[in-house]
Amino acid sequence: MQRFQFHQARSIEEALDLLSEKGERTKVIAGGTDLIPALRNEEVRPEGVLDILEIEALRGIRELEDRVWFGPTTTFTEIEESSVLKCHFPLLVQAASSVGGPQIRNRGTVGGNIVNASPAADVLPALVALGAELEVQSKREGIRRLPIEGAIQGPYRCVIKGDELLTGIVIKKYPPETRSLFKKLGRRNAMARARMNLSLLVRLDGSGAVEELRVVPGAVMPVAKRIARAEKILLGKKLAPSLLEEAAQVMEEEIVKTTGIRWSTAYKLPVIQAVFKQSVMELLG
Amino acid sequence: MDKVLLKMVVNGKDVEVRVQPTRTLLRVLREDLGLTGTKKGCEQGDCGACTVLLEGKAVNSCLVLALQAQGKRVETIEGLGRPDALHPLQKSFIKHGAVQCGFCTPGMLLSAKALLEKNPEPTIDEIRRGISGNLCRCTGYVKIIKAIQNVSKG
Amino acid sequence: MKKRGIGIGSMFYGMGYGFSRQDIGSAIVEICEDGSVIVRSGEVDYGQGSDTIFSQIVAEELGIRYDSIQMITADTFTTPNSGPTSASRLTYVVGNAMLKAARALRKTLQTVAEEILGEKDLLFVDEEVFSESHPEKRISFERLAKEAHNRGLPMVEAAWHDITTADVDPETGQGDAYDVYAYATHLAEVEVDTDTGKVDVLRIVAIVDAGKAINPLNVEGQIEGGVAMGLGYALTEEIKLEGGYLKTKSLGEYMIPTSLDVPPIETHIVEVPVSTGPYGAKGVGEPALIPTAPAILNAIANALGVRVVDLPANLENLHRLIREGLRESQTVGG
Repeated sequence: MQRFQFHQARSIEEALDLLSEKGERTKVIAGGTDLIPALRNEEVRPEGVLDILEIEALRGIRELEDRVWFGPTTTFTEIEESSVLKCHFPLLVQAASSVGGPQIRNRGTVGGNIVNASPAADVLPALVALGAELEVQSKREGIRRLPIEGAIQGPYRCVIKGDELLTGIVIKKYPPETRSLFKKLGRRNAMARARMNLSLLVRLDGSGAVEELRVVPGAVMPVAKRIARAEKILLGKKLAPSLLEEAAQVMEEEIVKTTGIRWSTAYKLPVIQAVFKQSVMELLG
Repeated sequence: MDKVLLKMVVNGKDVEVRVQPTRTLLRVLREDLGLTGTKKGCEQGDCGACTVLLEGKAVNSCLVLALQAQGKRVETIEGLGRPDALHPLQKSFIKHGAVQCGFCTPGMLLSAKALLEKNPEPTIDEIRRGISGNLCRCTGYVKIIKAIQNVSKG
Repeated sequence: MKKRGIGIGSMFYGMGYGFSRQDIGSAIVEICEDGSVIVRSGEVDYGQGSDTIFSQIVAEELGIRYDSIQMITADTFTTPNSGPTSASRLTYVVGNAMLKAARALRKTLQTVAEEILGEKDLLFVDEEVFSESHPEKRISFERLAKEAHNRGLPMVEAAWHDITTADVDPETGQGDAYDVYAYATHLAEVEVDTDTGKVDVLRIVAIVDAGKAINPLNVEGQIEGGVAMGLGYALTEEIKLEGGYLKTKSLGEYMIPTSLDVPPIETHIVEVPVSTGPYGAKGVGEPALIPTAPAILNAIANALGVRVVDLPANLENLHRLIREGLRESQTVGG
């Protein structure tokens, strides 16, 4: 294992102080499930790591009137077991439950999943589908908020700067008739990276037409994002097989536009389309 | 690199050891404290052989920096039962033939313990899920699941 | 769309090395003055339970508790060369050596007991030796051992068992390849997602001819582990080499089944005793693994009408096959 210093902060202030001074040469560590293998393989070479797991203000799941706030060091297990999140964002709970195995879920955090920005992340695409907003703090700028879509610039590249700390995630509540699901395809049924995943959120209006639709395929592009063009095909209309087919086709085009044709494309493209169609049918029955 | 004093409660006993900041909990348990019951499998969180209970939760100790366990309660396999008074899970594993080479067993037992503490009467699927982070090559998991089921019913 | 299928795979497999390769097992059994028994074996128990089997065999012959036997194993200084721990040969080859050594010791003890008890119809049961017709004439194993020692009789026996075969004709392939074969049939029920190529194995039934299951729990354990390995072999395990370098270096990349991938496994042990095995027993170490992948692949063929010929039948391979509708000239079930 390479050499590095170990720092532990007990408050956000303490963390920000250190990051403002050494942020560019420091890696923040929470659950360590991504960072420790990366340190071991020397994929990153920081001078020091900053442990933020002892900061109380970064934990917790708080339901407010029109939104839910949860801390970045919330573990996947805590998400899985949260009645608040199960009630309001089952999509997020399904995504968190799909990660790794119990030991990984007991340590892995939602903040880590965001900041690590792996193209194969599970929780990150779910947060994109839910339109989460990130709360980021620094000594330099205080608090700034940014929508999660736009927070990831590329594989393993999150916009959060060296002197900044992710301090909260906020998701606005959806109307109760909203349905959602998360599908993950892995090579085996546990301890598997997503070959692909799909986050889907839909709500019909009184007449049965699609009022809101949010589609985020994951692990098929460098950065998970909503396929707005595909969503638009179905928006305002009643579900019909031809429309679904058209939307799936558009999704394929959008993905290829971003990734080009790669060795995995022959498999991933038809499969994500099939999973998309099948999932929409499942949600809207 | 300067060593830092690490204080933990391991298997109910206060422990103090000086460690380099780069050490993982797994290495400190095995190499500094001589608790070699916790196994080093893949050292990257893929196999679960290094499972310990940290503040009661099953974690891969290879993915915990030792200093992150500062002031915390750690339970290893050495803390589960005594040779003359085995834990019900240990008795059940023996009775049901759930141990072959034994390499996965310490981690498997601790995951099972954590599962039953949270969920005393799990379904078979819940048991499967509870040990899904512990790889076993010898048993096909069949007798392990039966052994855990047997303890949970009682 | 999900499609289900059922498949069956059968195999027979030679025990030991065969083909005139040397295959000799050995054992040293010692009865100490205090009646305790030490067994020395060159073989390794790495969890498959060979120590248990050898103890059971010796204990059965001497009428003592199998868990009272002290096993000394795999020590080149004190244990006899018995050949490798492999080739599904321990029970069948080395077990026979254990049997021979134990029987030789029993014969010696019998002589002493006959002299002391004045009867010849002696049974060795529950750590005692007694006459079947006159059960009041009995002596404890412990005392009998001491008596034998006091008479200066040999209380250590070494035995060998050789199953080296004559070999087959290099032209015709006919002859004496292996001393004995084990047989097994596995059945698999699978569900294939034709959209994704994912295969879920729903159920496995494994039927194995063990000759005689000296320890049924251990035999089941071997079969269950073998089935899980066969499942991984069929569906997810893949060694990737690039320019001679191993790319699948870790347990994260080389994917073996987790507890959520292995379905319920129903095991049936068929006992057709083989006269050349200890108590009729054969080995199951490798037979446990062999028919699983064929059963699963046949189940996939039954479900889809396509035959996988390249392993693993993973997501991409299966998906491509389904798209290409690859067929062999033979009809496949389904």
